[in-house]
Parts: sequence; structure tokens; C-alpha cells
Amino acid sequence: MTLVTIRSDGSSLLEGYRRTVGQRTLTVLERVARRLKGHRIVMVNSTSTGGGVAEILHRLVALLNELGVPTTWEVMPGDARFYGITKTIHNTLHGWPGSLSPEDRDYFHEMNRRAAERLALDGDLVLIHDPQPAAIVAHRRRPHQHWVWRCHIDLSRANPEVWDFLAPEVTRYDAAVFSHVAFVPPLPIPAYLVPPSIDPLSDKNRELSEEEEDALLDPLDLPSRKPWITQVSRFDRIKDPSGVVDAFLLARKREDAHLVLAGGTADDDPEGAEVLNEVQTKVAGRSDVSVLSLPPDAHLTINAMQRRSTVVLQKSLREGFALTVSEALWKRRAVVASAVGGIPLQVLHERTGLLVRSIEGCAFQITRLLRSGELRRRLGQAGREHVREHFLHPREACDYLAVFARLIERGI
Amino acid sequence: MPEPFELHGVVHLVRPIGYRAHDLESLRVGIAGASAQTLFYHAYQPQLRYSAVTDLPPDDFSAWVNGVVQDRETAERLSFAVQHRAGSCAELRDALVQVLLSVPEKARLQRAAPDEGDFVFLEMDSVAVETGRYASDSVELMQHLAEVEPVVIFYHLVEQPWLDPERPSLIHWVEKGGDRRLAEWLRLSLMSGLPLEEGRRRLMRRWRQSRLGRSVAEATASPEHERREAGRRAVAGLVRRITQSEQSDDPGHDS
Repeated sequence: MTLVTIRSDGSSLLEGYRRTVGQRTLTVLERVARRLKGHRIVMVNSTSTGGGVAEILHRLVALLNELGVPTTWEVMPGDARFYGITKTIHNTLHGWPGSLSPEDRDYFHEMNRRAAERLALDGDLVLIHDPQPAAIVAHRRRPHQHWVWRCHIDLSRANPEVWDFLAPEVTRYDAAVFSHVAFVPPLPIPAYLVPPSIDPLSDKNRELSEEEEDALLDPLDLPSRKPWITQVSRFDRIKDPSGVVDAFLLARKREDAHLVLAGGTADDDPEGAEVLNEVQTKVAGRSDVSVLSLPPDAHLTINAMQRRSTVVLQKSLREGFALTVSEALWKRRAVVASAVGGIPLQVLHERTGLLVRSIEGCAFQITRLLRSGELRRRLGQAGREHVREHFLHPREACDYLAVFARLIERGI
Repeated sequence: MPEPFELHGVVHLVRPIGYRAHDLESLRVGIAGASAQTLFYHAYQPQLRYSAVTDLPPDDFSAWVNGVVQDRETAERLSFAVQHRAGSCAELRDALVQVLLSVPEKARLQRAAPDEGDFVFLEMDSVAVETGRYASDSVELMQHLAEVEPVVIFYHLVEQPWLDPERPSLIHWVEKGGDRRLAEWLRLSLMSGLPLEEGRRRLMRRWRQSRLGRSVAEATASPEHERREAGRRAVAGLVRRITQSEQSDDPGHDS
């Protein structure tokens, strides 16, 4: 099946958001949605599980439907060869070395052509997420449809050869949406900035009782008396798990603590197991570091782990947006994160968290936070309010609807 | 009073205009040629972007000159130009350009950002949305302003008067209704440059205090049992406010 069915327990998402974020935030969203009554939206990406995009789509699609804007979600089918090619595209667009052979390019186009035939792309507005299905647009058939490409990754250091391969496809769209201004390449189509968001109602972010936390964390056998320094991320070199270990070991010389590196791998990331193995080898024999490979549905465990952490890290070398930062801020955690990608939008230095640019800087800020409960509380409280305003699903839904409303009004 | 006033919210769609500044000279050129929407976004939209914080970060121009170019003096003077709230786009543009021109040309070219630190000029495209709220007089208006999302206040008191000064604004409507004092307060709150929530709190406090005298005068004409009941309600309200304030001071309390 290519169509993702959104499971619902029958409860109202809007009602849940109203309780969590307040009616104020929803009023504008509900009003923008009214403008799109009578229009249908189709979302397309390459996986229904694992990774931030799939997580966002699960809720966003349900929310838009509840707002009265019929929305469906199609997943592009792929195979190991295709995912290998799209992983190369992903990595090279992030600036890592690599290239595509002529055969890879042909296969990419062929898989996109097949997807265009197979998927139900009959909405008035089609929102394609990320590079994997980007070339489907070449096969758009219905007139008067509006096609938007949503790029979740950092293109600021994109390999020019690979971007030149993708750019002709992107220019076929009516508009593009990026998470951060630095990611926007020169394009002849309108390019809007829409940061992604987290879901305060999801298992990963909802409030947990102490008993629930205990029940979720006890099986992990983590030390309960030491402060936890935690990074939750896919096992991916871009997330720099090795640098996290180095920073922790430097900080550990000053303050006692325990490092938790927790993550999983996404369906479309063939390198995950290799990176996990590297990290496990690096910390072998250490009792103050726990490396946890979690299944894709371990949302509640991640939630509990973040809530129990004293400091949450996101020491990425490159980032699209790093939603784990907003997740931690929403839970009032003190965050130390690299000043890359979309992180500085979430972490306002010394206001909602601490930004770092090196392993030493990361170690310094970890130590500082371990020593000051007052600093942790101040940053955590401000971080939660910042996320409430800017990085929750209702705001992102509102931005998409406004982009669509603009395209329709201007007849683009 | 004139016709009821409809309050609007707005969604700001933001997009790069394709121009980047690398040094103070290219920043000057960019500002000199920027649209009103671009200047407004970088100078005043941070007031909405960081509406919940108590110490508002500086405008985008000063933040870049300070944090990236690291020219503290020019950054301070740009901050002042923005905070001083030049009344129109032309005035603001002129004020910012003058600050940059006061730096010698050679220094303007030398004071540059490191690689990948360019200032990217953005443009704000406002999609206005109805809130379904109408005010028929000042009292109703202030009730709405106490409850609406910050973007509604920002749109009516900051954005619309600045970007579209020819169009009758909320303040004009209040003036037309004869409440000149409230109109002046709204105008002042617009110019304060405070974080929006703090500006709203101050405006509401002023409004409530101004209503106190009128409420007392009206109450003296009421029968004794009604006055006593009103007194009980006032004390209960006071207790509620004190309790809420104590809870919001508690770091563990999520308000």
C-alpha cells in the first residue's frame, strides 16, 4: 500500500491542542483553514516510519482533516538500490563527498516515474517532501494543481554536481518551502521559510507521570543517582555521536555524570548500523556511557529519557532542523547544541539554551549546566515558551495553509 | 461610535529576496534598496517573533553587525535608529543608511562577515485572516485585546499603521469614537518596542486603572446590598490574581 492510513483513537486533535497550547494559537489556524475549504491536499514522502518527516506527517495529515481540509498521505515505494541512491543524494546535499553515476540518475528518474503512475496525486495541492520523490513533479498531469516542494534538509553546503542534478526538477514546482534561510539555494520559484514542528500530544512529548517514567526507564538499567547527559538522535555521522562522547569525557573530568546516547535508524538510512557499531566500539568497557539502539516506536521511552535528563545535547555537524532540540526544550530541559542548521532558531543563546561550536565548547557548557540548577531552570522555562509559540504542529499547519492560500489567490 | 471594528490576525510568510550582505557597505546598499516589507521584517518583526521573552533580542540588522561582523559601536547606533521608531519606511531607511554612511567607506568594506555569515535579506508576505471578533466600543475592544493572540495586537498596532499608513487603522477608529486618551495609549504601546506580552500587560493595567474611577462613581449610586456584593467579587478576584501570580512564579508550575 502506498497510501498511509492515519490511525485515530477517535479523540479530537484540535481539542487536545486547545488544552495544551491554548485557544489563542488555534484561532488563526482555524481561520486560515476556512480559506481552503473545498480544496484537497496530497502529501508525499518516502517512508511512513522513522525520521522526523514521517512523525510530522502522521499528525499534520490528521490535523488538516479535522480542520476540514481533506488531506491524504502517499508514500513513494522504493527498494534497496533506490534507498542507496537517495542516501547518497541526502549525504551529498549535506556536503559530504560522493557522486551519482549515470545509471544511478536514470534509476532515480525511473523510480519517480513509476511512483507518479502508482500514487494518487489527484489533490488540488500536492506537497512533496524531500529529494526522494522530488522528480515526480515531472509527471504532473492535472492542470490547475499547485505543487510545492518541501525540503527538510540543509542545502547550504550542497555538492554542486548533485544539486545541479536535482535543481531542474525543483524548478518545475510552483513554490518551495525550506526550514531555514541558510538552506535556500538560488531558485526561480518562490521560496518560503517554514520551520518544522513537534507534536505536544504525541507519545514522544506528552506529559508523563513519575510512575510512567519509572516503568519506562527501569528496564534500561541506567544509573538513577547520577545526572544524565543525553543525546537522542539517529546513529548517523552527521549527528556526531563520536564528538558527543569526546565532549562528555572532557566534562566528566570536572563533574560526575552519565552519558546516554540513544537512537535508532530510519528505513531509508543504510548507514545506521555501521555508525552504531563504531560508537559501541569507542565506548566499550566504560560504565559511565550507555548506548541504546531503540526501535522506531520507542517514543514513550525517549520522552521519559529526555524528561529525566539533566542536560540534553544535540552536537550535530550538519542539521536540517533537529526536532529533538524542540522536544527537549518543550520538556523544560537545559539544552547544549551546535550552532548549525535550524538549531539557532530554537536555541537562542543564553536565552533558551546554549550554542556551541566545538567539542571543548560543548564540554564547557555541559559542566556549567551541571553546576547551576538556576541556569538550567531559567533556560528550560524560556525554552518551553519559545517552543510553544514557534515550534508546535498548529503553527506549522498554519504556515502551510497560508502558503497554499497565497498560491491559490495569486493563481500561481 | 462608528461602525464596529473587525480584528484581524495575520500569518507572515517569509522568503529570501535573493540579496545578501557580506560587509557594512553591502548592508547599506541592501537597506537603501529594500522594500518596506523587508525593512519592517528585519527591524520590527522580532517584536512578534520573540513576543514571550522578557528581554527582547535586538533587531536583525544590529544583531548581525554585533554578533557576526562584531562592530559593536555601529550595532548600538543601528539599534538606536530602530528603537527610536522612525515613523515611516523612508525615515527608518534614511536613519539606518546614515548610521552606516557615518562609517568611513574603507572601513565599511573591511568590516565583513566570516565565510557563511552573510546577512540574508528576507521579505514578509502577510496573509491576513479574520478573527471573527468585532468591537463596537472601547470597552469591547479592550476585552478583545486582553484575549487575542499576540499577532492580532502586532498587526493592528505595529504592522498595519507602519506598512499601510494611509488605511484607517484601529487607532483611527478609537479616535473617531471619541476616546482620544485610549487612542494615545495604543499609539504609545505601538512605539514602545516592548515585547508584545509585556506591552499588552502595561496597556491593560493602564486601562483598568482608568476604569476604576468610573466604576466607583457608578457604584455609589447602587443600593447597599449590590455594593456589598460587588465588594465581595472584587476581593475574590484579587485573591485569584494573587494565587495565579504565585503559581506563575513557581518554576515547577506550567502556566
